[in-house]
Amino acid sequence: MSKKHEPDAAPAESAPHWADLWQSFSESSKQIAEAWSSSMAPFMLARLLEHPGGFAIGNEMSDAIEKMAQGPRLADVWDFDRKMALVFGAWMEMRQKLANYNAVAAAPWTEASKRFLEAMSAATAGGSNSPPNWREAFAKWSEISNEELIRNQRGEGFLHAQKELLQSGLKLRSRQDDIAEAASAMFGMPGRKDFDEVTRQLTELRREVRALSHKVHAQERSTRPTRPKADQTVVRSDTQPNTQ
Amino acid sequence: MTEENQAARFFSEMAANTEKLVKAAQLFGQTKDEDVAIGTTPKHLVMRRDKVELFRYKPTAEATAITPVMLAYGLIGRYTMADLQPDRSLVRSLLSKGLDLWLIDWGQPGRTERWLTIDDYVDDYIDAAVDRICQETGHDQVTLLGICEGGVFTTCYAALHPEKVKNLVLTITPIDFHADVKDTAAHHGFLNIWTRSLDPEDIDKLVDTYGVLPGEFMSSVFSMMTPMRSLTKYNVDLIDVVDDEAKFMNFLRMEKWLADRPHHPGEAAKQWLKELYQENRLVDGSFVLSGRQVDLKCITAPVLNVFALDDHIIPPDCSRALGAKIGSKDYTEIPLPGGHVGLFVSSKSQGKLSQSIADWLVARDATSASKA
Repeated sequence: MSKKHEPDAAPAESAPHWADLWQSFSESSKQIAEAWSSSMAPFMLARLLEHPGGFAIGNEMSDAIEKMAQGPRLADVWDFDRKMALVFGAWMEMRQKLANYNAVAAAPWTEASKRFLEAMSAATAGGSNSPPNWREAFAKWSEISNEELIRNQRGEGFLHAQKELLQSGLKLRSRQDDIAEAASAMFGMPGRKDFDEVTRQLTELRREVRALSHKVHAQERSTRPTRPKADQTVVRSDTQPNTQ
Repeated sequence: MTEENQAARFFSEMAANTEKLVKAAQLFGQTKDEDVAIGTTPKHLVMRRDKVELFRYKPTAEATAITPVMLAYGLIGRYTMADLQPDRSLVRSLLSKGLDLWLIDWGQPGRTERWLTIDDYVDDYIDAAVDRICQETGHDQVTLLGICEGGVFTTCYAALHPEKVKNLVLTITPIDFHADVKDTAAHHGFLNIWTRSLDPEDIDKLVDTYGVLPGEFMSSVFSMMTPMRSLTKYNVDLIDVVDDEAKFMNFLRMEKWLADRPHHPGEAAKQWLKELYQENRLVDGSFVLSGRQVDLKCITAPVLNVFALDDHIIPPDCSRALGAKIGSKDYTEIPLPGGHVGLFVSSKSQGKLSQSIADWLVARDATSASKA
């Protein structure tokens, strides 16, 4: 074979191999994806992300509020500028309240660190004893931190800060909902308020129907002859329990 | 120990713990969702009413008590805590003691259930379930077994429909929502304090914005009550369970239950947080359902009140308050060691709770066979 033809021959010969490799890769990827999604790994990853470990400063509530406050995002359509400005204002306010909350939530860690160092110093008697192993040290750290965090939570400062954070988060979410409602109205689609109104009417209607049904059954029972009570029936130990 | 030895020990332990965390990640990847099953005790569906379902458990032992027992959990979290796994299941234990056990399951409420009130849950769903049990079994009365908020619902039902209640069993049930002030334990009663710190308008706004009391929101409040436990659960605590398959699976089942956090229907949440937690109306007799005052003195059935002495969510005094308020002459309290959830799922408490309930019921409600 001439050298002129060799570069053309090589790709032609290897094409089937590449196709086989690609197919094999695709199948493996599919199997890996299926194995991943049917395992506990995605669930645990979601749980881990909801609960940041290690140095998180007890701001799970603010994370939860932030997540809940992130509503739908819409392109800037006419008349939305004003609503968007309101959203931005609410967002700024929420960030400020979050900063205040984080400052309050972080306070107990300083106190906990101080107490922990004092406890470790006492445990080692100023260096004359061996330091505790990591489990003993961590247990002490955990105990002290827990006390300080709980003490902080019950304080007026923390309760006030998280209340303000909640209020600002709800305000932000409410502004975002206004935008969603306006967009729905613009396209002639039912919005959340419409849905709530339908479910309210349905719930009230259901109550009325059930109250009527109850009255009818009560009237039927009052006219029906009484049946013998259950405990007048002999329950023998050789019969199957709890069957009709 | 020299500094060198200390450093060597530190790095050795860090390497071992890192290895365990890697192993945990591998185990998570290998464990399938269907391997982590909770609420598995066999039962069959008897009735469905909107999203609410009434189940009857398959009996596993000779009957010892006549009257059917209906288990009612609350709207925060799910009933599967009472049936977490075969060796930690109040449901299985009660069945093994010969009780005819039923379950009312609230399902997964969402925005569709926004307008449901506690009135609906007590006077519609529970009442319909009780009527259906009576129809199926030929009894005129049932025993109610309430857990936490479910206990409040069954308490209200027993007060409003005393003619239909044979016995009332309550577990970890709050009655006086302000009694936490008497509890000196620093880690008890944060939920009471937190709710009282909010304005009623805050609660209205929260529910009106989301249509529900979001499950993830309440979950974060509960996590705050045990701050260090919440922070160390997925790292330090995991190191302790990863080498023990049974402990690892227990951990996963618990996580599965914790992650199942349905939303609380909106209007019912407003009543729960404002009228009960903030205004404490149940204990002072001003709580009204379906236009009728819930008068605890109207509860005349025998009552068993079980609570946990280290319950940080429902401080014991909040449960204990029931005894002085009811009209029943047969009232028994059983304080048990443990916490709110631990009472049901910890290995130490297994058997005690179910034995207490079964013994109490059989003494008041025995079949002629079990009396002999």
